[in-house]
Amino acid sequence: MVDGKAQKVQEDRPLRKHETGNAILTCDGQGLKRLLGAGTAWLERHTDAINSLNVFPVPDGDTGTNMLLTMQATLEEIANSPEHSVSAIAHTAAHGALMGARGNSGVILSQILRGVARSLDKKGEFNASEFASAMKEATATAYKGVIKPVEGTILTVVREAAEAAVTAAAEEEDLRLVLEKVVNEAQESVAKTPSLLPVLAKAGVVDAGGQGLFIILEGMLRYIRGETVEVDFALETAVDLHLPSEGEYGYDVQFIIQGQDLNLEEIRDTIAAMGESTLVVGDSATIKVHIHTEEPGTPLNYGASIGSLSKITVENMQEQYQEFILSQAQSAVTSEEICDIATVVVAQGPGFARVFESLGASAVVPGGQTMNPSTEELLKAAEDLQTDQVIILPNNSNIILAAQQAQRLSKKNIRIVPTRTIPQGVSALLAFNYQADLDTNAKVMERAAGEVQTVEITIANRSVQLNGVDVKKGEVIGLLNDTLAASGSSPEQVIEEVLRQMKAEKYEIITIYYGEDVTQGEAETLAARISQDYPEQEIELINGGQPHYLYTISAE
Amino acid sequence: MMEKTSLGKIEVSPTAIASLASRAVLESYGVVGMSSGSLGSGLAELLRRDSHKRGIEVRLEGNEIIIDLYVIIEYGTRISAVAHNIMSNVKFSVEKSLGVPVAEVNVHVRGLRVSSED
Repeated sequence: MVDGKAQKVQEDRPLRKHETGNAILTCDGQGLKRLLGAGTAWLERHTDAINSLNVFPVPDGDTGTNMLLTMQATLEEIANSPEHSVSAIAHTAAHGALMGARGNSGVILSQILRGVARSLDKKGEFNASEFASAMKEATATAYKGVIKPVEGTILTVVREAAEAAVTAAAEEEDLRLVLEKVVNEAQESVAKTPSLLPVLAKAGVVDAGGQGLFIILEGMLRYIRGETVEVDFALETAVDLHLPSEGEYGYDVQFIIQGQDLNLEEIRDTIAAMGESTLVVGDSATIKVHIHTEEPGTPLNYGASIGSLSKITVENMQEQYQEFILSQAQSAVTSEEICDIATVVVAQGPGFARVFESLGASAVVPGGQTMNPSTEELLKAAEDLQTDQVIILPNNSNIILAAQQAQRLSKKNIRIVPTRTIPQGVSALLAFNYQADLDTNAKVMERAAGEVQTVEITIANRSVQLNGVDVKKGEVIGLLNDTLAASGSSPEQVIEEVLRQMKAEKYEIITIYYGEDVTQGEAETLAARISQDYPEQEIELINGGQPHYLYTISAE
Repeated sequence: MMEKTSLGKIEVSPTAIASLASRAVLESYGVVGMSSGSLGSGLAELLRRDSHKRGIEVRLEGNEIIIDLYVIIEYGTRISAVAHNIMSNVKFSVEKSLGVPVAEVNVHVRGLRVSSED
């Protein structure tokens, strides 16, 4: 506030009241939870309409459904959290979105939430300008996930909406007003998408993903204004047949009319009068119709009178809705549901846990400080899974024994792929094929694990002489595939030596996981150095967060 | 890949198919890099001139087109969703341009890239 007088007035007043009425100046974690819930509920009502905007006939191309499933996975994750800090809720939401992301649009949504979480890190609540920053960060994160961002998609919409947020927050402190400007800009941005992507213009539609994002934001706005979105936040209660109101009973009718000299405008106007959520697109020879109506015969008869019909579907929407809710309740797992083999992976370190989760591991068992989960923990992880076939990746030679005991104790069909290190585990999991059977997978995964070279760097806790290497207690030692290979005074020195021994130049990708005792700066310096020594190789740096081992390096 | 028409033959080389696939992959969300596929292909690497086609292998088995992609994916995304998306995009783009079905699109995740602020 530049005006001194205005400032004084604000100081006299109690914290959250504003001259013009009950403004909303801040939002905490529970508020964020409700906003996300409202956005999702509003999205649910528009899912079919968004699905019908799809231009590409790809198998999992139902943008509306994908975005909805992603948001629902997000909500499930935060539903039971009592956290008040917006940072906690945002991080949990981002995690839920990552795990439950479906389709292209779902992945981008998960990136958006990831950026929001990063921006709101360590904050208890957010105000208007922090909200704008969060949207900017969300945009940056979203754009980072692709080499060639395509404009005229959800990326454009989030970018332009974020810009509007920044402009609005510079003048306004009331979150309602800022969000209103954001939603208006999002809607305009969506309307412009056909001018940016020719294929949209040709099909006569706007971008589905962009529309989905706009709808989510609109849902949030409606909630913050006190308008109803018919939210059911009790996602803990699995099946709540919350029936859609306002005449959304009826039928979902779709068909294609083929003919000659079809008048798109006239047909669109005629059909629009027959029901709701109508979509009529095409040209003079082929027109696709999508409509929600209580009398399916009417649009069909009309279509048949002006041309020939094909690809006709008539679905009972109430049945569709109930089936959808039931199927959501039944599939408790957020990973791939087509497969009947589950994977249990042991991870020593939060970074590793995330890597395995994003690779589709069914269950990740933490190793903890001792780095060894007990037989019971492994057994429980395997028993809790819904499938009868399980593959365990111990990722440490000490854990193989516990895994074997779990295998004996369990009634399920368990196979152990004897991975001795995390990088072997990553390689094995990458080789997992949902469509292959248990035996084939075990074989393939074992082979993949064997092709990885693992280097582990840690501090010696006693002096010893082994394999021609002299080690003094407290020195840094390097293990190559579980065998002592080098010792020295600094990690850099030891790593250099071990990489030389394994002839790292023969490999393509060198991945460095740094542990909890190493700072990001130190790790980056090391990675840069290795990059210089091995310019032909791809160097990846990941925060594994593992205890005891300063660095775990894999080469393949 | 070869198609016989009444006027003659249309032949599309694997390299051309790779170029078609390349665009689709680079536009696929979640892909942040491409990596060369086969191990020990030192000589082949030297001969391959176009860096953007690196990481794409096209094989023709009889009449079937099989595409192998070697990609680096953004750490923090759901890898299985990204991989499925790549497959759909590539299959759709190549089939649309060639008019011939693609039998297989295999995605090999060669690595994960962490963006700097993580």
